Amino acid sequence: MRPESQAADGEIVRAVLAGDRERYAQLVERYRDRYARYATRMLGSVDAAEDAVQDAFVRAYDQLAQCKEPEKFVGWFFLILRNRCFAERRRNRSSASLEMANDVAAVDRADGGAETAEQRRALQRALLELTADQREVFVLKHVEGLSYGEIAERLSTSIPSLKMRMHRAYDKLREQLRDHT
Amino acid sequence: MITLLALPLALLSTQQGTGIAQRLAGRVLPQIASLVEELGTAASARGLPIDPLIEKAIEGSAKGIAPERVASALRLVAMQLDTAAAALRDGGLDSDTLAIAAGEFAITAGLSGSDITALARTGANAAALTVGLRVAGTLAALGVPPAEDIGLVSVAMRSGEPGSALLSLPANVQSAMAKGATPAQAAAGLARAAAAQAAHGPPPGRGGGHPHPPAPPHP
Amino acid sequence: MSGHELHPLIKQLLDGDITLADLPAELRAEGEAALRLLAGVDRTDVSMPAVTWRVMAQLERRRRRFLPWLLAPALAIAAALVVWLVPRTPAPASLVTVRFVLVAPDAKQVSLAGTFNQWDPQATPLVRAGATGVWTATLTLPAGQHQYAFVVDGARWVPDPGAPAIDDGFGRRNSVLTL
Repeated sequence: MRPESQAADGEIVRAVLAGDRERYAQLVERYRDRYARYATRMLGSVDAAEDAVQDAFVRAYDQLAQCKEPEKFVGWFFLILRNRCFAERRRNRSSASLEMANDVAAVDRADGGAETAEQRRALQRALLELTADQREVFVLKHVEGLSYGEIAERLSTSIPSLKMRMHRAYDKLREQLRDHT
Repeated sequence: MITLLALPLALLSTQQGTGIAQRLAGRVLPQIASLVEELGTAASARGLPIDPLIEKAIEGSAKGIAPERVASALRLVAMQLDTAAAALRDGGLDSDTLAIAAGEFAITAGLSGSDITALARTGANAAALTVGLRVAGTLAALGVPPAEDIGLVSVAMRSGEPGSALLSLPANVQSAMAKGATPAQAAAGLARAAAAQAAHGPPPGRGGGHPHPPAPPHP
Repeated sequence: MSGHELHPLIKQLLDGDITLADLPAELRAEGEAALRLLAGVDRTDVSMPAVTWRVMAQLERRRRRFLPWLLAPALAIAAALVVWLVPRTPAPASLVTVRFVLVAPDAKQVSLAGTFNQWDPQATPLVRAGATGVWTATLTLPAGQHQYAFVVDGARWVPDPGAPAIDDGFGRRNSVLTL
């Protein structure tokens, strides 16, 4: 499914700001799935991720006038979604992460059999035990496939500090998985 | 529009959910619902049916089609409803919403306004014409060219065929096609058979008026 | 190798900075285990089609909350709507039982969506007859004009190969059922 007019993001943002509210749907449609996976892995639940993505788009609409570079809407939107995901984790720190991990299992499609599915569940549970920063760098690199350079640019941070986070994440994951196997 | 209309409609409560807003609620984007309201109000004022608009909007949303594309499709449906209505009026049939909707379907299937007028000129009543238009559209969707299509359906209608016979025309064409006939050949063959029957006149007791000689194929 | 921490070289391996071949022999097994761990990460795509209309509906609701003065004229419009929305009741519809069939051996699920079920791809699943890949559903529908398509694996819209087809206005084809 493609929008008929391949209008650039900047053009759509400017049109919305000029009063053509309905065109915002084009941006939503264009990017709603782009970070769906990121939000799902960050929050451990497709439902929570859908809420987060929805909220982020609404918030982005509210703050659209503050998008300094309309051509770079998607990067700016990512940061809004990111904040929303981080806020969610803080709110839900106490709720059963096991519940969320089971939800992720439901997302599993049939491939590789029961052992792979169990591995995935274990890994997702372990991911939820990391800090949000550690989980994020792991998800961006190993799920979304970004390089350290790309992540650094997106998060406005340095590669060495990202690697430090990641290496701590590796250690914690290994510890989690070893303890619970 | 959706939330505001839902409240007054509920207060008036004379309808069981036939309002546009209620039929679209939760199924389409707000801007699509607004467009359907806008096109529907105008259409209804001209005596046109609104079901084709509502169905197309729901279909587009269910298929995940981008809003601009759904909007284009809706405007096309509205235009085709107008064309069908005008064609029916030219054929002597005024403002029957089911017939107009059937005409719109026939146009989507590839028939023209004049094809619709030709069928309307068979003199059939609105109900029979509605079936005739649906069948004509279905035959077009099978690949029967307009000339043979209208030829077959108008012969069948003029001979006072019951609705069930009309409705089995597409299946008969498909059977003939399965045996190797082209859609045009299949339709022409069936038209000849129907004309031969018509020459003997309708069986006594069947309504449908006086027998016509078989009409020549529509040019 | 004890302790909680992974060897720095293993971490570089996971980062993609070095390969297994670069590891000293005694670390290879651990390196492989770590890579297998990484391979177990769930990378399935996630799609959220409902988000679009939910976002726009939420924006619309908030907008309307601030426009109460539209309520009065809306009542008049609503009254008019009720009048012309009364459908012309067609003659009592006869019902026809129809069997839908699709041969799709590779499909994991098949459903039917059309004018008779609001085009909802989840409303009418087909049932697979054993291993042959023949999917069927039997419905009782009112006489009239219907359009439909099969939905394979929740995502692929496929017209009925055995039925007449028309343009759906969106670049695809719908199947036609005239009862």
